[in-house]
Amino acid sequence: MAKVVVDAMAMQRALTRITYEIIEHNKGIDGLVILGIKTRGIYLAERIANRLKQLENATVPVGELDVTKYRDDIEHDSTENDPKVTVSKIDFPITDKKVILVDDVLYTGRTIRAAMSAIMDLGRPQQINLAVLVDRGHRELPIRADFVGKNIPSSQHERIKVSVSEIDGQDSVEIIDR
Amino acid sequence: MAQRFLILEDGSAYPGIGFGAGATTTGEIVFNTSMLGYQEIITNQIYHNQLIVFSQPIVGSIGIAHDGYESILPTTKGVVVRDVTAISKNRQRSLSLDKFLKQHNIPGISGIDTRHLIRKLQQTGTIKGSIVDVADDHAFDQLHATVLTNQQVAQVATPRPYPNPNQGYNVVVIDFGLKHGILRQLSKRDCNVTVLPWQATAQDIINLDPDGVILSTGPGSPLDLPQSVLEMIQTIQQRMPLFAIGLGHELFALANGSEVSPLKLAHHGANHPIRKIITNEIIYAMEGQEFVVNPDSVNRDRLITTYVDLIDGSIQGLRHRDYPAFSVQFFPDGAPGPNDSVDLFDEFMEIMGTRE
Repeated sequence: MAKVVVDAMAMQRALTRITYEIIEHNKGIDGLVILGIKTRGIYLAERIANRLKQLENATVPVGELDVTKYRDDIEHDSTENDPKVTVSKIDFPITDKKVILVDDVLYTGRTIRAAMSAIMDLGRPQQINLAVLVDRGHRELPIRADFVGKNIPSSQHERIKVSVSEIDGQDSVEIIDR
Repeated sequence: MAQRFLILEDGSAYPGIGFGAGATTTGEIVFNTSMLGYQEIITNQIYHNQLIVFSQPIVGSIGIAHDGYESILPTTKGVVVRDVTAISKNRQRSLSLDKFLKQHNIPGISGIDTRHLIRKLQQTGTIKGSIVDVADDHAFDQLHATVLTNQQVAQVATPRPYPNPNQGYNVVVIDFGLKHGILRQLSKRDCNVTVLPWQATAQDIINLDPDGVILSTGPGSPLDLPQSVLEMIQTIQQRMPLFAIGLGHELFALANGSEVSPLKLAHHGANHPIRKIITNEIIYAMEGQEFVVNPDSVNRDRLITTYVDLIDGSIQGLRHRDYPAFSVQFFPDGAPGPNDSVDLFDEFMEIMGTRE
């Protein structure tokens, strides 16, 4: 059974608020780069970058981060379940930049830890901030988000499904009972 | 129904038929281009001491309803229409416009060529006018001699605090002559509201420990209010989420170093397209403004422009760069008018939510 907890309007609003909070927190957009964690984080990152461009009339670089090979909870040497390793698409330097890391759901924190490892392999940013659309709790690592669209306290038996119109045909966040 | 006259400062007289109260009144004459919502417009305190001309040709057709009040006691000086009708089958109707105006001692005048009048007002800008029984020299002398107050906020805003209890966020509303639409939207979102008089100091507000503060709409010029109001805003915006509407928006802009000046042609209507800059969406909202933030005066290091009017490019929204404080010139509460921007109240709730 699926229950919509964030509709399209609320998702737009959350991204709008996060955008303003990014400006507030960083005193502008100087030195900012945005990295979206694939798959849906990339679309959310692009939407935040579009909003920043509308407001500030300046382009903030957006990169795509693939963290699969940095995950500690996926068996890398099993040939059967070999995860598809694609390459991160970041065609700008990140050293001394302020990185905004964007993902759809913050859960155990393992994706974010992996993302930070991936970033560190690419350079040494001045700071990393984390923006997530949904924080569902159940952290296994000492990680927290700087910008949260919506806190959704959830049970581990539930699944949080984020849909973005770019690939899913609609904007929504649903809770699904497993 | 007796013949009466609408006379203007420029010497012109429009004969018409009186309705509502038989009083002789004088005020600034403004025109409203909204096609609906005459009750909300007449009861909105931004029209304190003003005569409202409706471009909508037939007014009164849905009577007066319980949920259409934007203030308890309207202080509009007159209602000028092409046609007034008492025919109404609206189930929500509780009384006719005519009877309502009589109760509140507000005169109305119908049979006026409002198209001609509005074209004239577009040339003259806001001028004084009177609804009178006889358009003689004496009436014009009286009109010219009448000095209108610039203390409109003090006339219509609440003199003492009052609560609107509920279980949700603690919100303080600073009343500059608020429209009920603001309280209605907060009520829908279960806010525990305290309305404070406009002279409230920052300390008065902080003592109530609110989750957020709203600066309300109101009549008149923001330049006629004392410096202490701006100082209150400067302190409060650093301490808690702030949402300012209408006159509140103009004060928010002044408090952050922008200039506000009178509009040559006031905006009163629900048909202004407005661009929401962050998402590049077009929205419609009720506007009721006679003053505007001067775009060249906006300090870009402090404020971000968030909404602009697409007809004249005027600034319709601002946001502070350093604090969760934002404002809109238009009325997002949809009473009357489109609900396109009513989710600004949801945005305000969510901003308060992130600070728990």
